[in-house]
Amino acid sequence: MPMYQVKPVCGGDIQIDLPTCMYKLPNIHAQQEHSCTSEHALQNGEVDPAVKALEARQDEIMRKLYELKAAVEGLAKTVTTPDADLDLTVSSSLSPQSSSSTAFKGTADLDTLLGKDLGALRDIVINANPEHPPLTLLVLHSLLCQRYRVLSTVHVHSSVTSVPPQLMSCLGPRHVDSYARHLFQLGFTLIWKNVPTLQMKFSIQNMCPIEGEANVARFLFKLLTPYPSDPAVATLVDSWVDTAFFQLAEGSTKERAAVLRSLNSALGRNPWLAGPEFSLADIACFCCVQCSGSASSAPANVQRWLKSCENLGHFSPAKLLLQ
Amino acid sequence: MTLRTYVNTNVLLIQNYSDYSCPVANNYADNKIRSDDTVQTTVSRSCHDGYRRADRVLVKVQDLTPDKADQLIWLRARVHTSRAKGKQCFLVLRQQQFNVQALVAVGDRASKQMVKFAANINKESIVDVEAVVRKVEQKIESCSQQDVELHMERIFVISQAEPRLPLQLEDAVRPDGEGEEEGRATVNQDTKLDNRVIDLRTTTSQAVFRLQSGVCQLFRDTLINKGFVEIQTPKIISAASEGGANVFTVSYFKTSAYLAQSPQLYKQMCICADFDKVFCVGPVFRAEDSNTHRHLTEFVGLDIEMAFNYHYHEVIDSITDTMVQIFKGLRDNFQTEIQTVNKQYPSEPFKFLEPTLRLEYTEGVAMLREAGVEMGDEDDLSTPNEKLLGRLVREKYDTDFYVLDKYPLAVRPFYTMPDPNNPKYSNSYDMFMRGEEILSGAQRIHDAQLLTERAQHHQIDLEKIKAYIDSFRYGAPPHGGGGIGLERVCMLYLGLHNVRQTSMFPRDPKRLTP
Repeated sequence: MPMYQVKPVCGGDIQIDLPTCMYKLPNIHAQQEHSCTSEHALQNGEVDPAVKALEARQDEIMRKLYELKAAVEGLAKTVTTPDADLDLTVSSSLSPQSSSSTAFKGTADLDTLLGKDLGALRDIVINANPEHPPLTLLVLHSLLCQRYRVLSTVHVHSSVTSVPPQLMSCLGPRHVDSYARHLFQLGFTLIWKNVPTLQMKFSIQNMCPIEGEANVARFLFKLLTPYPSDPAVATLVDSWVDTAFFQLAEGSTKERAAVLRSLNSALGRNPWLAGPEFSLADIACFCCVQCSGSASSAPANVQRWLKSCENLGHFSPAKLLLQ
Repeated sequence: MTLRTYVNTNVLLIQNYSDYSCPVANNYADNKIRSDDTVQTTVSRSCHDGYRRADRVLVKVQDLTPDKADQLIWLRARVHTSRAKGKQCFLVLRQQQFNVQALVAVGDRASKQMVKFAANINKESIVDVEAVVRKVEQKIESCSQQDVELHMERIFVISQAEPRLPLQLEDAVRPDGEGEEEGRATVNQDTKLDNRVIDLRTTTSQAVFRLQSGVCQLFRDTLINKGFVEIQTPKIISAASEGGANVFTVSYFKTSAYLAQSPQLYKQMCICADFDKVFCVGPVFRAEDSNTHRHLTEFVGLDIEMAFNYHYHEVIDSITDTMVQIFKGLRDNFQTEIQTVNKQYPSEPFKFLEPTLRLEYTEGVAMLREAGVEMGDEDDLSTPNEKLLGRLVREKYDTDFYVLDKYPLAVRPFYTMPDPNNPKYSNSYDMFMRGEEILSGAQRIHDAQLLTERAQHHQIDLEKIKAYIDSFRYGAPPHGGGGIGLERVCMLYLGLHNVRQTSMFPRDPKRLTP
């Protein structure tokens, strides 16, 4: 029998809402500041939906902005190129591809193309022979610099005794921030070395070295914009690139003359080699034509096309080196 | 009849041989009977003799080329080998890295006794030889002078060696693999180091130390051209500079003192004393009980310290440029020495880039992580990781020399300047050759207040380093620097595997002599 009874002091069935989380902290494994796609995740991995919606809207606005910018650029080109009726806004609306070549992609693009960001500068190493400077790659380098933050350096390997000064400065002046490598998205290291063929190295674990100026040019071009989605056009670009490097650059005079004739006929139909848009084929053929010295003796369409290429302004590093 | 006679070879005597039992008795050293009584029977009187012979020109072995064919010359060299074959005796005469075949045959210029005498000269003895240079049709592969041989007319022993040598020079030069294959002897390192005087005569050792002398010379010349001043710092110091454990103590009158671990403190004081850019070459004493292939207790340190204007990368650029000039100088001027060393110790030629490759620590960690190594962002690199990183950098950039910049602050000494943009990292750098560290350097803290804070953070007794901190109280410019070890740089440049091979008389925890 109980000793004495006491009335309960408080009701026995009060619902107490115990929190499951003591306090919320931002995720300490958040991605570093320079990455543009950090998701500001909370501690247990959820993402605030409002932020996501805001990001989506921002992406949409940026995309529209860039489309507008492409249109304006196309209009600007009509002022400088001699063929005023071939502006890019007209040509891009004709082609099946949208203006994705200039749409905002940012670092996510580099992540898909080059592999996951390991928190350090992604450095592309190119070994070139100073006797055959790769003009195409210099042009692609200046295009890359416009798209990404690129840290460019030039070195001379010990297998080469000395290199003329214009080859040392072919990538342009040293960037102001070059003391801090981690501030850049991409590294472009050019090494003048006594190699039989041009060679590119990027990731030692996952990639074998890429050899040949044509192949390296394709790799670098894909960092700027994907190949045309139409397989026929893509094959045409590829075949012009190969023609340029094998027949124009290394072929005999007869082969070169034949290439110039086919260039002439192709350029009679289209403003650029692979159709209405400027592509890698134009870059490759321009550089090889200039290298082989047949620019002055080229037929009329080719001369016109050479002028339009120069008007674009990407080819100034190549022209500098040729002097 | 074994007195060392230093015979006066007056030209008139040569014709006067008919009186003696051996027709050419004057032409070799044992004989002391002559018509002219000026025989010197002891070495100490040779100075009188030497004066009379000061106009004799001794030709160097390295100058014996076909354009001297049919000339009669004198030379002084060591007997490398001597072999009698019937009526002839073949000698190989050696001078440093060069050797030449010489022969004496029984005939009108030489007698049987002379041939026997030549065959019995002990190896390594120093001889004076007068001979005619003759061209040979077939190249003599085993000698450095392959197109000529000497037909000896006179030979005199200047300094005799004992008959039993502690080690044979051919054995000391033989590559290790070859020795095992053919069953021939090679000499192990301890024996070589115990008999260093003989081991240093080998072609390989001569090449190594000539190259080392070249490194020192190029270091000095490059820095003097950049406007540096050479200083000498004291080696007997009152307080351990880097850390307490690894110093040698010496008794200093009534107290004790220490042998300097590095000239760090004094280099910095010179910068505070307005010398702007200094370097010093001198011994460094580290009492580490590490018996490894790359540690010595005493080695030669080449140290640099300089004030900079706006960014410590000016210091890195200066140091790497000096190293590149040294490598270029070695590549262009010391190829013979490099090839000689490669014969015994084959290795890949040393590759480098100009300007030097500079990677950040985070990049190095990323490369290691990509290769499967697990490490934290602020961990120091262990030796195997350093070697792996060296191989990865070699694979990607094809260089054996690079700089790793921006090390984590936690693993550096207290006087290292922290990175202003990221407090976890520091303005410090290491340089690597063939994957092994050769230089550890940094921007130093030049502010006494900050230095005191960092020292307290590292729990260092401020009393012990009071003199060091005081030097920064009266205006110190921002500065940085670093130091390399001469022996280690030579070892890594040549691709050798033990630093004792590049130290003339090495000191380690187990070796104090010679």
